[in-house]
Amino acid sequence: MSDSIDRETVEQVARLACIDLPASRVDETAKQLAEILEYVGQLEQVSLPDDVEPFFGATESVNAIRKDELSPSVARPDILSNAPDSDGEFYQVPPVF
Amino acid sequence: MDFSNLTATQCVNQFASGEVTATALVQSCLHQIQQNDPSLNSFIRTSDSALPIAQALDIKRAAGKPLGPLAGLPIAIKDGICTAGLKTTAGSRMLEEFVPVDDATTVKRLVEADAIVIGKTNMDEFAMGSSTEHSHFGISKNPWNHQYVPGGSSGGSASCVAAGLTPASIGSDTGGSIRQPASFCGVTGLKPTYGRVSRFGLIAFASSLDQIGPMARSAEDCALITSVISGHDPKDSTSAKNDIPDFLATLNQPLKGLRIGICKQHFEEGLDSEINDSVKAAIQVLKNLGAVITEISMPHTPYAVAAYYVIAPCEASSNLARFDGVRYTHRTEGVKDLAEMYCQTRAEGFGNEVKKRIMLGTYALSSGYYDAYYLKASKVRRMIKQDYDTAFESVDLILGPTTPTPAFQIGEHSQNPLAMYLADIYTVSANLSGVPAISIPCGISNRGLPIGLQLQARSFDEATLLQTAHQFQMETDWHTRRPNQ
Amino acid sequence: MNAATTQEQRQSISEDDVTIIIGLEVHVQLDTKSKLFCGCSTEFGAPPNTQTCVVCTGAPGSLPVINQQALRLSIKTGLALNCEIARFTKWDRKNYFYPDLPKGYQISQFDKPICGLGYLDLFDQRDKSKTRRVVLERAHLEEDAGKSIHDESKQGGNSRIDLNRTGTPLLEIVTQPDMRSAAEARAFLNELKLILTYLEVSDCNMQQGNLRCDGNINLHIRVDGQQIATPIVEIKNMNSFRAAERALDYEAVRQLELWKQNGLTISDAPKQTRGWDAATQTTTLQREKEASADYRYFPDPDLIAVTLSEEEIDSIRSEIDRLPAQWREELIGQHGLKPYDADVMVGQGRGVIDYFLNVAEGCGNSKMAANWIGQEVLRFLNESEATIESYPITSTQMTELLTRVVGGELDQTRAKEVLEQMIEFQLEVQSAMDKLGIKPVDNQEIEALCQQLINENPQVIEQIKGGNAKAVGALIGKARKLNPNASPGLVKNTILKMVGG
Ligand SMILES: [Zn+2]
Repeated sequence: MSDSIDRETVEQVARLACIDLPASRVDETAKQLAEILEYVGQLEQVSLPDDVEPFFGATESVNAIRKDELSPSVARPDILSNAPDSDGEFYQVPPVF
Repeated sequence: MDFSNLTATQCVNQFASGEVTATALVQSCLHQIQQNDPSLNSFIRTSDSALPIAQALDIKRAAGKPLGPLAGLPIAIKDGICTAGLKTTAGSRMLEEFVPVDDATTVKRLVEADAIVIGKTNMDEFAMGSSTEHSHFGISKNPWNHQYVPGGSSGGSASCVAAGLTPASIGSDTGGSIRQPASFCGVTGLKPTYGRVSRFGLIAFASSLDQIGPMARSAEDCALITSVISGHDPKDSTSAKNDIPDFLATLNQPLKGLRIGICKQHFEEGLDSEINDSVKAAIQVLKNLGAVITEISMPHTPYAVAAYYVIAPCEASSNLARFDGVRYTHRTEGVKDLAEMYCQTRAEGFGNEVKKRIMLGTYALSSGYYDAYYLKASKVRRMIKQDYDTAFESVDLILGPTTPTPAFQIGEHSQNPLAMYLADIYTVSANLSGVPAISIPCGISNRGLPIGLQLQARSFDEATLLQTAHQFQMETDWHTRRPNQ
Repeated sequence: MNAATTQEQRQSISEDDVTIIIGLEVHVQLDTKSKLFCGCSTEFGAPPNTQTCVVCTGAPGSLPVINQQALRLSIKTGLALNCEIARFTKWDRKNYFYPDLPKGYQISQFDKPICGLGYLDLFDQRDKSKTRRVVLERAHLEEDAGKSIHDESKQGGNSRIDLNRTGTPLLEIVTQPDMRSAAEARAFLNELKLILTYLEVSDCNMQQGNLRCDGNINLHIRVDGQQIATPIVEIKNMNSFRAAERALDYEAVRQLELWKQNGLTISDAPKQTRGWDAATQTTTLQREKEASADYRYFPDPDLIAVTLSEEEIDSIRSEIDRLPAQWREELIGQHGLKPYDADVMVGQGRGVIDYFLNVAEGCGNSKMAANWIGQEVLRFLNESEATIESYPITSTQMTELLTRVVGGELDQTRAKEVLEQMIEFQLEVQSAMDKLGIKPVDNQEIEALCQQLINENPQVIEQIKGGNAKAVGALIGKARKLNPNASPGLVKNTILKMVGG
């Protein structure tokens, strides 16, 4: 684990997270992230038994499944009503390229 | 009339007996909110339908129709929990205009039990915070002292109950977000076992940690509300199928022979001495009630906050990816293409704390870092859970402080976010392991701020938590103390 | 491996030095009523955004719950493809942003796919008496994305998003790079589709996108005793099996030519993604697989793991009927079909096999049934683009017709005329025969007819007497003209007997 995080990495992370990060804020963000990474870096010190299984969810029960049955869909005007832009049929987004 | 000191149980009983109408109860709440909330800012909005629903309920009672177990109870809902037709923002600009199609399962169950949703409470944006300073809708205040934070992220839900604006509220707890504000505001707050209460309709922060629970003026009130909101929900794969015991029935059982463990790691450096004293006094009370106290060790406790601040941001970075300006949300206009729309919308719609945590989680999951952060944290999480399993072989409950300090001042941690994160030091472990935990008032600091006691139990043993808390509240009056308004 | 080569070395390469390496990723839409994680319909063709709900549009607070049938169909497919079926399987999130991916992640399976290693045996395309084995890496369940409709005018107009398809269950089947030609890849796809159809796990309708495939291809080239691998290219947008074959063929040639020019090997260049352009019949660069495609897989905390017991898996196994390969064997072994005919018939699907089995059993002559179905029935189906279910002649009718052929009542030529009448006028066998005036001819009539032919064709009779029995053939056509109902076999035998040959 590395406690410091460089500008390039911060920019790459912002790209991956799809968050616009002005160049003027990169250093500050790097500092903030480094601070937390330094703190969580203490996990490195925890010695673990070799066979320890990660615990990903607070429940370890299994098999929540449903039957293949139809339930009513939401009416289109209702589902589209929260969209910032739609033509009544489709969601509209700016061109991809 | 002023009903602001009624407990939830009293509201329900008095409504059922005809002593008070639902309309009067709702009007009283709305009046209190109107009078006091402008300075507290515990609500983001009130519900226009509360009064008509109360009136309909009065008619229903007058007609002698059967009433639900929460009939007449005005209840506030954290704004991260969906209410059909009523804006649900999660404290974010991103969801400023979001109107859910469905009620969250919890809300549905409350409504079916004839509780009345009075409004939506303020919170740290997407539940990320411990102070309710990080809401798009302004800072909430601690009713005991407006210079202080109410805690968070369910700060609005704690504040409104403490201030007497509403007898009870619903919060959500990802790392302490019910218990920490409950402790800061002097109310009782329960985080049920993971899976006990459906998460359907709870806007996710960290799915494996989030849990909905009640905040009220007594353990008895929490028991009443928990009975209603608990239970398997086929819409939530992680919701448990365990039977729901009658939480009210066991409240009055004596504590004789109850084995309570005191986790020594909860009393190490960083604990405020006044809190230490109050908790020790509370231990004595429980001892007098017949509880057997032993010291236990949970060696991985010191790493819980670190594990939490890897796991929660990782999950959040993915959970919050859906806020992209396409379907639900705020969108930045005047962009040239899709990529710019995404990045601008997310930069503008999220607050700084949220963006920081999304980036942290994105980093920790990214190629080359997954093993060192997410996987390692998940393994430490296993060790923390094993600490609990071991502890519960010899004790029935684990007792300690809810927080290391009483409420801090607004802005106090603005330059030191880590200090804020450490406010969760005693609470995050319950989320990591899934066990239920309750915070109850156990003292008042010299500065006049409440102090909270945390009890934790085995998974699905909320009954013992509630029983112990209730027995404690029968012996003490901390939970009845109200701030001087 | 992958050492630098000289221009001269590269130009001297012959076709025999080049091995084409192909692996495929096939997405199969499983035929469930409802979506993978919600109760919305998977029906194709509904108006845009009318088959969505809070779950499949990723509304804040919504949660997924897995569809049991999607699991069952995946396991069924896995069993048919000889895969190891996981006893423990879980869900992971694949994170990336795209407007038709509502949650900003796709729920998929990363490290614990429902189906592990398996294989599929194919006829060797160079020698169909042999088979070749394609090893399957894995098959995992995942949710489909929606549809983005981009502005084709290139005026920079908005894209429109339809989320009806979002959340439809897909099984992604990934092969090892075991195919050695585009034709073999196509054969794999054909056989896979056939199996999926026999299992009834998918409609496999490529127009509706029920079956989609991407290919990974590169070349292994032998140069002066060492082996060189060219950079791997992933080809997308191959929306028919024919397109897949052409795209892979094109790409193999392109890679060889490119390598001859620049000599770049797998260690010199990143994996590329290219799209098949049907209009120009070429592949074009979509993007380099750059480092930023970082999907940040992690276990989906909204879903819990699935465990499968032996009993559940056995119960699914018991639902699997015979598969194409087993049918081929049975048709060849039990019913005496030629491998080619068996393959053709199996390729038509279960309906045709059932039809054949009914007719073969009913008329008592498998070979004849196979010939008739192979020629008459399949030709009709091809010409009219019909299915066996809509073929106008039922297997009972066909059985009756062929029973008369077997019994000598009809010769094959006449029987075909009868069949035409049956189809054209929707007649039963007897009515069609009546309509054609076909009736039994008694022995006296035959003898009289033969006598007439003997009398009228002395030259032919001379030839027969001279030992050329085959010459009788010249009289058969004449017999037909005199009496269309006379059986050619009977006429032939009678004449030979009367002439004393
Ligand atoms: Zn849906």
